[in-house]
Amino acid sequence: MSAADRGRLFLENAAKAAAGTHSVSGTGDLPAVLGQVVAIDSPVYCPGVTELEKEAATLFPNRVSGYASAAVTVEEVFGAIAETGTLVCSSEGSRAVQAGLLPAHHVAIVRRDRIFDTLDDFFAAVAAAPPTNITLVTGPSRTADIELTLAIGVHGPERLDIILV
Amino acid sequence: MSHEQTSLAFRENSVRALEDSALRAAMKQATDTFGAKRTDAFAPVADLEALRDRASAIRDDVLANLSMYVDRFVASATRAGATVHVAGDAAAAREIIRKILADRGARRIVKGKSMVSEEVDLNSHLEAAGMEVVETDLGEYIIQMEGETPSHIIVPAIHKNRRQVGKLFADRLGVPYSDDPQVLTKIARKALREKFLSADAGISGANFAAADTGSLVLLTNEGNGRMVTTVPKLHVAILSIEKMLPSLADLPAFLRLLPRSATGQTITSYVSVITGPRKAGDATGAKELHIVLLDNGRTRILAGESRDILKCIRCGACMNVCPVYRTVGGHAYGWTYPGPMGLILTTLLTGMAKSHPLVDASTLCGGCVDVCPVRVPLVDLILGLRQRKVRDRFNDPRERRGMEAFGKAVASPALFALGQRLAVAFWPLVRALGGKDVAGRMPAPAKIPLRRRLP
Repeated sequence: MSAADRGRLFLENAAKAAAGTHSVSGTGDLPAVLGQVVAIDSPVYCPGVTELEKEAATLFPNRVSGYASAAVTVEEVFGAIAETGTLVCSSEGSRAVQAGLLPAHHVAIVRRDRIFDTLDDFFAAVAAAPPTNITLVTGPSRTADIELTLAIGVHGPERLDIILV
Repeated sequence: MSHEQTSLAFRENSVRALEDSALRAAMKQATDTFGAKRTDAFAPVADLEALRDRASAIRDDVLANLSMYVDRFVASATRAGATVHVAGDAAAAREIIRKILADRGARRIVKGKSMVSEEVDLNSHLEAAGMEVVETDLGEYIIQMEGETPSHIIVPAIHKNRRQVGKLFADRLGVPYSDDPQVLTKIARKALREKFLSADAGISGANFAAADTGSLVLLTNEGNGRMVTTVPKLHVAILSIEKMLPSLADLPAFLRLLPRSATGQTITSYVSVITGPRKAGDATGAKELHIVLLDNGRTRILAGESRDILKCIRCGACMNVCPVYRTVGGHAYGWTYPGPMGLILTTLLTGMAKSHPLVDASTLCGGCVDVCPVRVPLVDLILGLRQRKVRDRFNDPRERRGMEAFGKAVASPALFALGQRLAVAFWPLVRALGGKDVAGRMPAPAKIPLRRRLP
């Protein structure tokens, strides 16, 4: 699969799982998309560790230091899986995986070169020495526990936006 | 709340269920929806049969080498920093968990969905020890509030409709009545968020355990499983020994099969792979992780003729297609696990003496076998248990005497011919005395028996 096909397939499958999907060609376009998906003055948690996060963090004047009190988490995640439209969040590198869980809105930035084709490719890559926590995220939090009626946003985010860079 | 097993009253339970029109409507709607979603979800999967073969072979290998994989898991999980406990039976599991929690002064416990914890009746034991245990899966939260047990292994509150849930929340939580599932879900989110943030410990189950890495794998949709396993400083996981997979690299086959079979999803919203507790430099994970591996009769089942039930990955597909389950619902089975896989597991785990009516709760139509993602031979297993029921003399004594008499008669041609003549002679009397309850159910005996009409 070509890199372009892989990216397209990933976004297509993520959209099927009710994630908002966005694609930008380079770091320079990141602020414009972030401005569209997040109200700039909302209390945002952004770790500001990776290059892309540093770029994103400067946009938000009301950054909070703890994810538990944030309305939005904006972060770069470990990678993605095209087959299922899945984000891969990993605890590797002192990352708080639960930062993408507690706020009602999760904005995940993914680098195009971090997309795996299939679940098999991903697990083959990490199975030898997995970090403390790997969480695969496909769409927002959901339940169908009442009459099998889909309800979005139970304990995790009710909104998930993915920005492919 | 403690729940006594009522499997011996399966017939009475079923009659009660049949009279409950709200329950029947809910069951029909839910199982129809699940069936259709499952079919749609598998439609685009190429080589589905090969995928099922692979998953089935992996589960066969796990059962053939279970003690080796359990040992390997214990070693790897320990190496990753977890403390692993092996519980021989339900009482041991309850006590191990109570002690872990009590020794650390934990009083407020949040719990993710775990059928194994239902099997060992964990909550009532912890509550008796003065702990507050809050179920955080929405369906479990609803039935805990109502003092009920799950009626389905995937959607525990499948038997309740939205109006019943709305009334329950209004009564217990003091919120305005609503029957909108979206609104009810947000009410639960708010109530449970406070519980997560103030909890001393989280208890979860696990869908799989990878023997090579010591990882626990949890498939969830709501995010409560992620909360329970990462927010409190102490995480206790309880799972039965057969949840092993040889390697984390075996997981993809099951990630493709389990959500599609269970809810018709391509994959669950969340898949958590947890390998040990939080380590130096980590910002994720409980500071302490205890894993309780429950045997509770599984080693015994493994050595017997019904061992293949241990291949089951608890997707619930067999119950959604089962004409008996679809009609009477999960509570009629009277224990933790309902439907085809449930009646087999219940009989094996709790013993024929406590559950023998369940082995007749099947039409042997084989719908369950068609949908089972890991090819558990459910019909063969049910037939095996029916044979055992007769062997262990748990069948109706009238049936037993009748079959013994029939056995003697067919062994002797003269006796058999006499029986045939008597049947013809007495048939008018039987019909007159028995009425339609007897005669209406039986064909009239042939005037000239078949064997005399054959050349």
